[in-house]
Amino acid sequence: MASMMQPQIILLKEGTDTSQGKAQLVSNINACTAVADVVRTTLGPRGMDKLIHDANGSVTISNDGATIMKLLDIVHPAAKILVDIAKSQDSEVVGDGTTTVVLLAAEFLREAKPFIEDGVHPQNLIRSYRTACNLAIDKVKSLATSIEGKSLEEKKSLLSKCAQTTLNSKLIGGEKEFFATMVVNAVIAIGTDDRLNMIGIKKVPGGNMRDSFLVDGVAFKKTFSYAGFEQQPKKFLNPKILLLNIELELKSEKENAEIRLSDPSQYQSIVDAEWNIIYEKLDKCVQSGAKVVLSRLAIGDLATQYFADRDIFCAGRVAEEDLQRVAAASGGTVQTTVNNVIDEVLGTCEVFEEKQVGNERFNIFSGCPSGRTATIVLRGGADQFIEEAERSLHDAIMIVRRALKNSTVVAGGGAIDMEISRYLRQHARSILGKSQLFINSYAKALEIIPRQLCDNAGFDATDVLNKLRQKHAHASGEGAPYGVDINTGGIADSFANFVWEPAVVKINAINAATEAACLVLSVDETVKNPKSESAQGDAAAMGGRGRGGAFRGGRGRGMRRR
Amino acid sequence: MALAFDEYGRPFIIIKEQEQKTRLRGLDAQKANISAGRSVARILRTSLGPKGMDKMLSSPDGDVTITNDGATILEQMDVDNQIAKLMVELSRSQDYEIGDGTTGVVVMAGSLLEQAEKLLERGIHPIRIAEGYELASRIAVEHLERIAHKFEFGENNIESLVQTCMTTLSSKIVNRCKRQLAEISVKAVLAVADLERKDVNLDLIKVDGKVGGKLEDTELIYGIVVDKDMSHPQMPKQIQDANIAILTCPFEPPKPKTKHKVDIDTVEKFEALRRQEHQYFDDMVQQCKDVGATLVICQWGFDDEANHLLMHRNLPAVRWVGGVELELIAIATGGRIVPRFQELTAEKLGKAGLVREKSFGTTKDRMLYIEHCANSRAVTVFIRGGNKMMIEETKRSIHDALCVARNLIRNNSIVYGGGSAEIACSIAVEAAADRYPGVEQYAIRAFADALDAIPMALAENSGLQPIETLSAVKSQQIKIPTRVMQENNPHCGIDCNDVGTTDMREQNVFETLIGKQQQVLLATQVVKMILKIDDVISAAEF
Repeated sequence: MASMMQPQIILLKEGTDTSQGKAQLVSNINACTAVADVVRTTLGPRGMDKLIHDANGSVTISNDGATIMKLLDIVHPAAKILVDIAKSQDSEVVGDGTTTVVLLAAEFLREAKPFIEDGVHPQNLIRSYRTACNLAIDKVKSLATSIEGKSLEEKKSLLSKCAQTTLNSKLIGGEKEFFATMVVNAVIAIGTDDRLNMIGIKKVPGGNMRDSFLVDGVAFKKTFSYAGFEQQPKKFLNPKILLLNIELELKSEKENAEIRLSDPSQYQSIVDAEWNIIYEKLDKCVQSGAKVVLSRLAIGDLATQYFADRDIFCAGRVAEEDLQRVAAASGGTVQTTVNNVIDEVLGTCEVFEEKQVGNERFNIFSGCPSGRTATIVLRGGADQFIEEAERSLHDAIMIVRRALKNSTVVAGGGAIDMEISRYLRQHARSILGKSQLFINSYAKALEIIPRQLCDNAGFDATDVLNKLRQKHAHASGEGAPYGVDINTGGIADSFANFVWEPAVVKINAINAATEAACLVLSVDETVKNPKSESAQGDAAAMGGRGRGGAFRGGRGRGMRRR
Repeated sequence: MALAFDEYGRPFIIIKEQEQKTRLRGLDAQKANISAGRSVARILRTSLGPKGMDKMLSSPDGDVTITNDGATILEQMDVDNQIAKLMVELSRSQDYEIGDGTTGVVVMAGSLLEQAEKLLERGIHPIRIAEGYELASRIAVEHLERIAHKFEFGENNIESLVQTCMTTLSSKIVNRCKRQLAEISVKAVLAVADLERKDVNLDLIKVDGKVGGKLEDTELIYGIVVDKDMSHPQMPKQIQDANIAILTCPFEPPKPKTKHKVDIDTVEKFEALRRQEHQYFDDMVQQCKDVGATLVICQWGFDDEANHLLMHRNLPAVRWVGGVELELIAIATGGRIVPRFQELTAEKLGKAGLVREKSFGTTKDRMLYIEHCANSRAVTVFIRGGNKMMIEETKRSIHDALCVARNLIRNNSIVYGGGSAEIACSIAVEAAADRYPGVEQYAIRAFADALDAIPMALAENSGLQPIETLSAVKSQQIKIPTRVMQENNPHCGIDCNDVGTTDMREQNVFETLIGKQQQVLLATQVVKMILKIDDVISAAEF
């Protein structure tokens, strides 16, 4: 490769004026497009997955835009912006539409490229893009349909439609109804509470995905247990639950304390004193009337046997988040002492049971009074499979929560994008000046979504797009909800087929993509500290050499650009 | 890997250490993945069925394993390729969930991949193939349900359970005495099963082995076998109606956990200390005696002095018994684990009808049998065999058989084995394929072809002509309508043992319904995952 490039590079060194900002801008745009190309094929129900090895050998198979971008470990400064917007779409805003946002941003940039090359000032483009963005968002808002004011049953089925749309493109798409219902139930269970960690997702390898189930309470894996544990009862109805954050173990009370005895006969009293401390603690637990004792710290063998004698179930070393979830679900509070345990701090639930799930035993608390928690136990044939299923469910949960809060949906399958595109084109014609061109290209960029959907499914994108444009051009507006029909390769009414997305996802995607595009456009020079680059080169000696080879000859310019 | 070039043909550095990473995408990636998956399946193919062969695996530190169990083979192979790892996990999940059929599931996934490759070459979109497979798997699972039989069993009527376990064991090296082992497995599971809740805690079944003797000496003990002996050689070797004290405290003077120091400044004090120590031993033994214990089982060790004293007082004792075994003993004998001597009471003692120490052959190894326990909900399968590898393989086989028995208790539906269920499904799927418009039809047909791989492999491994045998059996299934079903006869399978009939009902070859369904679903799931990958990005060293 390097040998092939050699003459061109020499040419560069002599001819090109590197201080000019235009070349910099163009190369930034190219970098962004290249990154978007990686995730391009993951879009839509026929999207493919990526298998990524990272440097320390762990492997991820994913369809989630944000996950892929994160794992790619991108270092190009302009391309990093795309990673950031994907991340923000994922974590802060909605959790879904991460591929969409990257694609849109890259497409805006690609459309801008010819203008930049023709010498349009980037700021002009930016201004028009911002205008177009605002118009687009207004249009989305006006097109959105509200699901507010429906009965719970109706709302549930509508929400599950939204969840199904996002699950469509994932590995678990085959069981989308099953999982969509599960997700909707889980989200409704935790109510409008903002604490997402109240939905626990537990992964148990083995079984098929239909064996996954939802617990309207908390479930966690059996913790490490000492001898005597098996003699405890494993099922309770309406037990009182005591949650602790102390160790129940026979141990020295104070570190570094030392006892000196001068009289051997006192020996026994010291031993007894220690035993009494632990027995007193245990006794208080029993006195409180609790039937299930959970602790974040260890519950020793002595305590295990003590509880077993008194028909009490105990589990030590429960993970912090699980304990918090039990606390929220059962209405109890976590105690840091066993003194003065009153009834109010004890939680309860309808059924507590230890159950076999696959190869593991699970502690399951169900029918909790406050009902503010839900746990999804995921099953699947391989670890990678469950990992990916978890990511997909995360997306679906976020979507449902968003839809529940904002309660407006738009048609998916590229329908909304086509409609905005049409609207912007129409609007552009009423504008005098250069801006008309720019808004037109913005409108064209939006068509990437349906186009990519077709490409991924192996359809003739141009053909389908023409049909869509024609449908959307109807003056009556009846064609507005038409999108790509992924099954037949034609077009169909997405809204009627229940391909729905929450409006907020789309709004945010358009907004973030425009912002990112504008940001990249407004940069005309990157100054990179040469020292840090050499340090990097040392750290990754191999990488440094490889890079040096590629830039041989064009070194001066290469440095400045980056 | 090069992602992009600028106008002047120079590559961008977008990804960290870009030069070192390799990237495989599109059809090439799929082809590479499929061939990785298939090569794993190819290894296991010859292990399938009663005439399947074993594999010998030698670990880096020289341990040799000989096994026929799919999950174990893959586990030990230490696969590095990611797609191959998926197949390993596939087999492992079948092992976790069902415990049996680990070879079959991989062979099926391999043949699904093989069929998918052909479809990919014809230009069918991988996701369409996966979707078609999914539709087909659903048809197959439903059909399995239709051809399944329920059978009844009870505490005394275990014949049908034994037959099913025998099918599992017949493919293993232990098939010489499969009848005996199957009975042991079924009895063991029934002993610990909670028939009402349909729950079986396999933790309560201890499978232990010792080199020596012959496989026929393998026995089921309603109680516990511990690899320990009496702490003093002169203690009695056999105790009738033992009252067992189960202790987690050592026969030693108690120690406070806090750092401590005893200052001795006079001879009197030293003697007092000495006396006190002696007194402790005396008291401890006395306390055990007082509550009526006739045997002491202790998690920790004890002094020679205590040992002597115990011997002297005629109280047999066992020391250094592990926590898990201690717990099992407690469950079996209905005793309580006692953390300190002061708490010892008569109620907390465990009861066992017979405790005996048994020595093996001419060796000095001894083991302790605790039998006729108050609560027989903990049992031990004790395996004897000529060598260590044999015992290990028998353990795995027994595990499979135990799992099968457990699954039957959970769900008492069975299908017939010998590939008959697969052939029946293949016919059903093939017939259903024509109803689906679109590209999926091809995938569904391919699925039917893939299902044939299992009977085909069975026939091949049994030295029969695979294609001839399969087509003969297939036509038999369609031709002979049984009285009950009035349609096809789904009981015809491959006659691996050359018995003379292809009817698996007569041969008594059963498999569990849930096991078979799980195989179909799991294989489809993993194949979908593999087909969905079109881009493999890896760092250079991989």
